[in-house]
Amino acid sequence: MSPAPRFGITELPEKQARVLRRAIRLERIDLCFRAVTVVLMITVAGNSQAMKAAWIEDALSFLPPLSFLLAVRIIRRRPSRRHPYGYHRSVGVAHLVASVCLLTMGLYLLIESGLGLVEAEHPAIGVVSLLGHPVWLGWLMIPAALLTGIPTMILGRMKLKLAPDLHDKVLFADADMNKADWMTSLTTVIGILGIGIGWWWTDSVAAIIISGSIIRDGWGNLRSCIADLMDVRATTYDSSEPHPIIGEIKEELRRRDWVEEADCRVRDQGHVFHVEAFVVPRGGRTPSLEELAAAREACVELDWKMQDMVLVPVEKLPEEFLPRG
Amino acid sequence: MGWTRRKTTTLLAVVSALAVLAGCGTTIPADPDGTLDRVTGGTLRVGVSHQPPWTDITGDGEPSGTEAGLVRDFADSLDAEVEWETGGEEHLIHLLEEEELDVVIGGLTKDSPWERQVALTTSYREATGPAGETSQHVMAVPMGENAFMTALERFLLAEGEA
Repeated sequence: MSPAPRFGITELPEKQARVLRRAIRLERIDLCFRAVTVVLMITVAGNSQAMKAAWIEDALSFLPPLSFLLAVRIIRRRPSRRHPYGYHRSVGVAHLVASVCLLTMGLYLLIESGLGLVEAEHPAIGVVSLLGHPVWLGWLMIPAALLTGIPTMILGRMKLKLAPDLHDKVLFADADMNKADWMTSLTTVIGILGIGIGWWWTDSVAAIIISGSIIRDGWGNLRSCIADLMDVRATTYDSSEPHPIIGEIKEELRRRDWVEEADCRVRDQGHVFHVEAFVVPRGGRTPSLEELAAAREACVELDWKMQDMVLVPVEKLPEEFLPRG
Repeated sequence: MGWTRRKTTTLLAVVSALAVLAGCGTTIPADPDGTLDRVTGGTLRVGVSHQPPWTDITGDGEPSGTEAGLVRDFADSLDAEVEWETGGEEHLIHLLEEEELDVVIGGLTKDSPWERQVALTTSYREATGPAGETSQHVMAVPMGENAFMTALERFLLAEGEA
């Protein structure tokens, strides 16, 4: 199945279509890799206590890639009479799922390790018989942790590169999830080496330090995703600043000689923006339909994310729709 | 991005420092509370609950049974005297949790419910019960005394092969 290069009515430019295909491929690889890891873990660690704890993490990290893949299927649908704005918000829902997963994972890690430290749990790592030879399990767990951590790190970095081009916040949150995963693997390595030299607390301390970073990422993603669902002014893919397109639209409109004043409000529907722009014609003259259409066309041309745009000629800029405060 | 290159470098430095420390140490894994050092040339405190044929405390004198024999041989290998403590399994596990014992035996298996309180060794023998079910036999040691635990496990695995 090759995905149609469109989000609803928005035709994707060639570059974005290519990036989308890569992102979908990455997420599928990610899911396969996770599935293999889980099966391996079950085979190696069986139903030990540690394995039961790892289950929660594994189950959580499946959700962001799944929700991404589901969302990109749904947003391809065209708007309908029942869904006049299209299905773009499914991206927001997927972002919510990914953010909650990330935050839960961070909190879980913090509470679990905090309790371990308070109750002074000394982790027991014994010997297994490997092909008839007794081997300390720690020596097997370190390469296993590295083996699962390194590909996750590479996948996360690749996703992070794609997120800005696609303006995809789910991909961004999922890259944070990959980061959380590989950092957890790293703490496992530190923890095992620590336990090896008799420092039973290294595992918990390392995990607590890492959990701070995961919680911060989860919280940041959750805030930005809820803000988007609440129709906050459109931002860049990492929610760090207002999207520059807002200024560009105003400039594009003001440049026309029949325009006295122009302003707009822009909300992020997921990948694409919904724009309501207002223009005050010079000298109170009603612009021709051609002039209006040309102005709208010029704005839409600015960015692939802007298909859903309405342009309204007004007597003066409506302050109730364009609040200053 | 909250995760900077500097932090990554710091973490890698910690990992390598631990790896070097681990490489220099004489014993890996080590005991946080030094059980193996204390037992070697000293006393091995063994808790025994009655579970023939693995353990038997009905006779006069010292406990008998296959596991009692194994533990006696293990103590010999460490030049240690055995101090026996007999009692019910739950009581013994509690003493082990408090580190007032070093090993508990009594036909314990891998499916023992005590795995949150104490550490169970790798299974050293598979046995078939009266109903034809197989069980993996283990011994219990204090949580996290990994040098002591691996010493016992290596001994048991070697005995299993002999």
